[in-house]
Amino acid sequence: MNKDDYLKELTRLLRKLPKEERDDVVSDYHEHFIIGIEKGRSEEEIAKALGNPKTVAKQINAEYMVRKAEDKQSAGSMFEAILAAAGLGIFNLIFVAVPTLIVVALILTAFAVGGAMIMGGILITISYMFQPLIPLINLNLPLGGILGIFGGIFIGVSLTILGVGLVAATAYITKWLYGLAIRYLKYNIRLIEGRKGSKKSQGVS
Amino acid sequence: MYTVSDTMNTQFKKGVLELCVLVLLDRKDCYGYEMVEEISRNIFISEGTIYPLLKRLKTEGLVISYLKESQDGPPRKYYQITELGKEKKEKLVAEWNEFAMGVSNLLYNRNVDMEGNCDE
Repeated sequence: MNKDDYLKELTRLLRKLPKEERDDVVSDYHEHFIIGIEKGRSEEEIAKALGNPKTVAKQINAEYMVRKAEDKQSAGSMFEAILAAAGLGIFNLIFVAVPTLIVVALILTAFAVGGAMIMGGILITISYMFQPLIPLINLNLPLGGILGIFGGIFIGVSLTILGVGLVAATAYITKWLYGLAIRYLKYNIRLIEGRKGSKKSQGVS
Repeated sequence: MYTVSDTMNTQFKKGVLELCVLVLLDRKDCYGYEMVEEISRNIFISEGTIYPLLKRLKTEGLVISYLKESQDGPPRKYYQITELGKEKKEKLVAEWNEFAMGVSNLLYNRNVDMEGNCDE
């Protein structure tokens, strides 16, 4: 791969970055080539020593995505950041994908349980409130009598309140986890920062 | 596919690379190629690694960059360490010393602490 091919490929792979940032990165590599050539190295030699443009681009993209997720605070940008970080290598895939799946599953479960509690609570409350009014329809409620009705309403309302509490707590935790996820992704990217090139290309230095 | 030891080795170097870059920049302002040369002289790195790292250090405010004319060719992008970068460097150097001392104590079966006191 010569200088122009390398830089063109790098530019293409960094297309998700804003133009200004992309130009900045590409200019660094351009400068590296220029100085290397001045020192008498061949373009191919320099390209090989720099490592695969794909690996270089992956690293830069992942850092950019995480930064974007930090600024934007949206589920979509977080998803992109996680994908980019997980794509860095086998280590990142394991250490990013597995915790992500577990955490997302837990959050969704908590929201689902909370939602079910709210719905269930409302249904129970309505059933007990309307049963005495419409005696024709027998709802077969387990609690009977005037005390039973109040008991039933009490249970229904409590369940709804607990459900709302659970949903609110989960929403709060999710927000907190967002910040934690950003820190974790940054740490993860840093740890495995740019595994460049294969063993084969490492022979040239 | 790479082996675990290969990956561990690389990860190990990546952590140290940040330290190396900050130490070099603490001595004098450098351009990217210069740092690659200096570091490669001592440890093997893949040359492309340094630019994403410099970019991150810049985003974190540990270094800044500026363009400076050079005698032979177009202007070069020089990097300069900031106060924040110097603090970070001190921290990393301390961590490194502690780590290196721990490992060599283990390797040579000594018991030297950070103050250089030896109880054997």
